[in-house]
Amino acid sequence: MDRNQQRPRSSILDALGEELIGILTPVSICMFTVVLLVCLLNSSSSSFSSIATAAYSETDSDSPWDKLLGAFLNSLVFVAAITVATFLLVLLFYLRCVTFLKLYMGFSALVVLANLGGEISILLIDRFRFPIDSLTFSILLFNFSVVGVFAVFMSRFSILITQGYLVVIGVLVAYFFTMLPEWTTWVLLVALALYDLAAVLLPVGPLRLLVEMAISRDEDIPALVYEARPVIRDDSRLVQRRVWREQRSNVNDDDVENNVVRSEEEEEQRSEEISVPLIDSSSSSSRPETFLEGIGLGASGAIKLGLGDFIFYSVLVGRAAMYDLMTVYACYLAIIAGLGVTLMLLSVYQKALPALPVSIMLGVVFYFLARLFLEVFVVQCSSNLVMF
Amino acid sequence: MEEASRIDEPNRNPNTDRSSNPNPLSSIISSAHVWPTIDGPLGLTEEASVDYARRFYKFGFALLPWLWAVNCFYFWPVLRHSRAFPQIRNYVVRSAIGFSVFTSLLLAWALTFSIGGEQLFGPVWDKLVMYNVADRLGLSGLA
Repeated sequence: MDRNQQRPRSSILDALGEELIGILTPVSICMFTVVLLVCLLNSSSSSFSSIATAAYSETDSDSPWDKLLGAFLNSLVFVAAITVATFLLVLLFYLRCVTFLKLYMGFSALVVLANLGGEISILLIDRFRFPIDSLTFSILLFNFSVVGVFAVFMSRFSILITQGYLVVIGVLVAYFFTMLPEWTTWVLLVALALYDLAAVLLPVGPLRLLVEMAISRDEDIPALVYEARPVIRDDSRLVQRRVWREQRSNVNDDDVENNVVRSEEEEEQRSEEISVPLIDSSSSSSRPETFLEGIGLGASGAIKLGLGDFIFYSVLVGRAAMYDLMTVYACYLAIIAGLGVTLMLLSVYQKALPALPVSIMLGVVFYFLARLFLEVFVVQCSSNLVMF
Repeated sequence: MEEASRIDEPNRNPNTDRSSNPNPLSSIISSAHVWPTIDGPLGLTEEASVDYARRFYKFGFALLPWLWAVNCFYFWPVLRHSRAFPQIRNYVVRSAIGFSVFTSLLLAWALTFSIGGEQLFGPVWDKLVMYNVADRLGLSGLA
């Protein structure tokens, strides 16, 4: 971190830092907003039915072993559903049904923004007794969702607004996932981390197939993917708009409508986005010039992070927030560290990597450490005035 | 110099070469060019901008003032440099006017509703306010 020495051009730290900030900021905003919603809305008593509770609904009276078993079953069902849906997506992409995928993505964005967004806004209005009337509310909601669909659907749109809407979609879906029963959530997160690892790194994994197809055809993966604004530096030779290739034509769908209690509200979430791995777009670079190009974070490369990663990081932190804010801090730091590690590995390996495993594993470990050991320690210290 | 940059743009088809190097000259040239969108060189070309501005303007009539606002935001450089892009400016200015008119109307209604409350509206207020409507339609519960 020594800046005292004169550097003829911008240091690697400046360049790298800006790229990292470009991806860390939206992840942090997403997590922060979900924690805020969780703290404000306090809906821990709701029984939320979805595909993730299809096999087993947790009740308070079950023994821990039953809960664990039920959580395993739930996760199994969920991961199976996601695998099927991802393979379906791979098949459709292989058959070049890009228009259909794009339409589906726009449709799912509309459902998430209008339906989930509307529900969360109503919850907030209810909580704060905000005297807004139904006409204004419906106009605002309509505007918000339709422009969101435009942002997701159209390939060339304001970068800032598109990024904002993707973060909002992530927040909405993540908030709904935090309402799953507790054991199911934790086991599900671990299961998804393992699934992500398998799907991206195994040769037969659906995500790896998807990425390879996309690279070979030089198209973008049709999914909801957050792309950080490419950093254009003064000494760069590339002022390219390659980032606006046909991206986001679809979201990997997880629309397995299942035995839900209230079908019109339990649209199962587009959590397929999970599966889109962390990609560095400049992976096929043959430019030898700068060291930055070499590590894959060149001027035209923008870091892409799948929306599912946003969602599950936020679910982890949101679930931690339901316990206490101390666990939130621990999990936040763990996730950011994991993301940093993943980005470093990305620059080393220069190919698509799963963003979930490292962060989720660190996050889960830190949550349980904080909850079981740290809290006791800190509370004892504070109450004995040793540390406060 | 201007010519070179204008010609260069349509060729910069983002769908093709991922690893090509445009000549260094173009980057210098394009930095001198005024871009119509707020994203600068990452945004749209001028021809595409006219199309987008027109479409946003027309779609905004479907009760979408936010789309008009987004239109103004996206083409902010057009508003700032008043002489640069006459066609786009036409639509963007109209979008701005539309947005202000619609927003002022909506705000007036919403403020009257929330500040006036029961005294002004009587029992109708309770029927119109959002949290009651949500309760009646069963929207506020999640499960």
